[in-house]
Amino acid sequence: MTKLENIAPSARVEANYVLDINDLLDDYTSAIDRNDLEQWPELFVSDGCYRVLSRENVELGLTAPLVYYYSQGMMRDRVTALRDALTYEFVYTRHVTSPPRLRRRSDGDVAVASSFSIFQSTEEGVTRTFAVGAYEDIVTQTEHGVKFRCRDVMLDSFGVLNNIAIPL
Amino acid sequence: MKTAATTQWPASDFTRVPFRVFMDENIEQLEQERVFDPTWCYLGLAIEVPKPGDFIITYVGRTEVVLNRDGDGNLAAFINSCPHRGAQIVRRMRGNAMSHTCAYHQWCFSTTGELLGLPLLKGVRGKGGMPKDFDKKSHGLKMLRVEEYNGLIFGTFSLTIGPLFDYLGPKMRPQIDRIFDRKPRLLGYYRQRIPSNWKLYVENLKDHHGALLHLFHATFGIARPTMTARVTLDVERGHSFLRLANIDEVKEETRAAYAGTDKYREDYRLADPSLFDVKPDYDDHVTNVIMSIFPNLMLGQIANTFQTRTIRPKGKNEFELFWTYFAFEDDDDTAVEGKLRQSNFIGPAGYISAEDGEAGRMVQTGISSRPHDSSFVEMGGRGEMEDADNISTEVAVRAFWKRYAEAMSLDGEGRQ
Repeated sequence: MTKLENIAPSARVEANYVLDINDLLDDYTSAIDRNDLEQWPELFVSDGCYRVLSRENVELGLTAPLVYYYSQGMMRDRVTALRDALTYEFVYTRHVTSPPRLRRRSDGDVAVASSFSIFQSTEEGVTRTFAVGAYEDIVTQTEHGVKFRCRDVMLDSFGVLNNIAIPL
Repeated sequence: MKTAATTQWPASDFTRVPFRVFMDENIEQLEQERVFDPTWCYLGLAIEVPKPGDFIITYVGRTEVVLNRDGDGNLAAFINSCPHRGAQIVRRMRGNAMSHTCAYHQWCFSTTGELLGLPLLKGVRGKGGMPKDFDKKSHGLKMLRVEEYNGLIFGTFSLTIGPLFDYLGPKMRPQIDRIFDRKPRLLGYYRQRIPSNWKLYVENLKDHHGALLHLFHATFGIARPTMTARVTLDVERGHSFLRLANIDEVKEETRAAYAGTDKYREDYRLADPSLFDVKPDYDDHVTNVIMSIFPNLMLGQIANTFQTRTIRPKGKNEFELFWTYFAFEDDDDTAVEGKLRQSNFIGPAGYISAEDGEAGRMVQTGISSRPHDSSFVEMGGRGEMEDADNISTEVAVRAFWKRYAEAMSLDGEGRQ
């Protein structure tokens, strides 16, 4: 996918579209932090892609992802598994994200980049920094509003604290 | 103070494991000296250091070690600590260099550990410098013995241990050959910091939890106790492997085996099952191999994923699980893509492997105030330790503790 850095800064995005994109990004973190995980796949187009990548692997040119869901169905399967099948520690999460950088791509979609920190808090209210990294997104206009075509979660903290259960 | 070395082993057939061994303050150093240093420890794959000068940082127990190739392409490994004042010498995880210089006082070493030179050897204007009897030859790096088997590289600090070939032994080698009969191609690394003692993960590699904890294993037929199964032990060496094949399974038996649990779910459907739509790598119907080489290496297969996992202790309550995920040189694009798809099973976020980290956390949390109690390890029977044709057994766990206790010089009663 064309990285935001490779698109000329002159490829500006109209103000209304910017507002819609900001809403999409907010809806994403809000769905996860409020444990409304069922909403998470709905923020993608049906053949959308969600990947979690290790910065170590990316810098080495190695292709193995930590998570590689290439359809909304796979994302729904993850939610079903989280609700119904997987054994993992319950935690509250909180995302803190940077303001996004935006560039219009030649195909009309928008490349979006932002940084994130994710904190986890246990059921006894003890907080740890769980993950730090960057989102690299391509968002697109659909008849149902602005959606992610793909979201890559680039992990600086690829030495994962135990495991990744819910989406980052 | 009572140390782990004097912990009473509560059963001579190792059907009990004293929780103290997972939390004792003094045990780490003893394990370094008695379990890791004198055995063959896995350092990495040959394909990670393909060219002369290539190096990676790796570990023997908690000791940081540099594995590299000299100018002739021969492997060498040394402790990553300067013989001068102890500083870490190599400071990047990987790279290529024909010599290594300690940044602190510029002592420079060859890839095979000889001290090549140092500044101010003779001081300045005849003043200072090293004593006249300083001999570079006696200030080289602390080297390991290094040997390779089928592209797997091991190192040891022991001068007396026999060849790696014998250490791996006749029962494990054919299983290693099955995977490494083809040259691997690196796909990536995964790292997990699991909040438990490293030995809890060794137990995890050797017991019957796979088909019980992991709904995905059970429901989608990667590992079920009713599949054709084999637990093979090398009791003398402390190795084992669990192998499951999708052969001769009877549905009624499966239902009966999972009666009362919610792990085998015939009603469970995936919205996108393409995860499972990958052509098997071998025609032997084997879906799951968990091979455990003493002390801290796992080699294995889950469906189409092949990997090494190294258990790197990071204190008594934490270890890094370091995964090397690979395809094979002769895999075509479709096969590689299938392995990327199935990365969703493994690693820190994988449908199966994420749960193993949680298992470690659960046990470490559960036992934290019970140092004087023991676990109960009798699934599969007591007494003799023998191979099994089923996975309803914890015999491989007992065999690990036997080998561990021998390495730590504990007898069956836990005495030195």
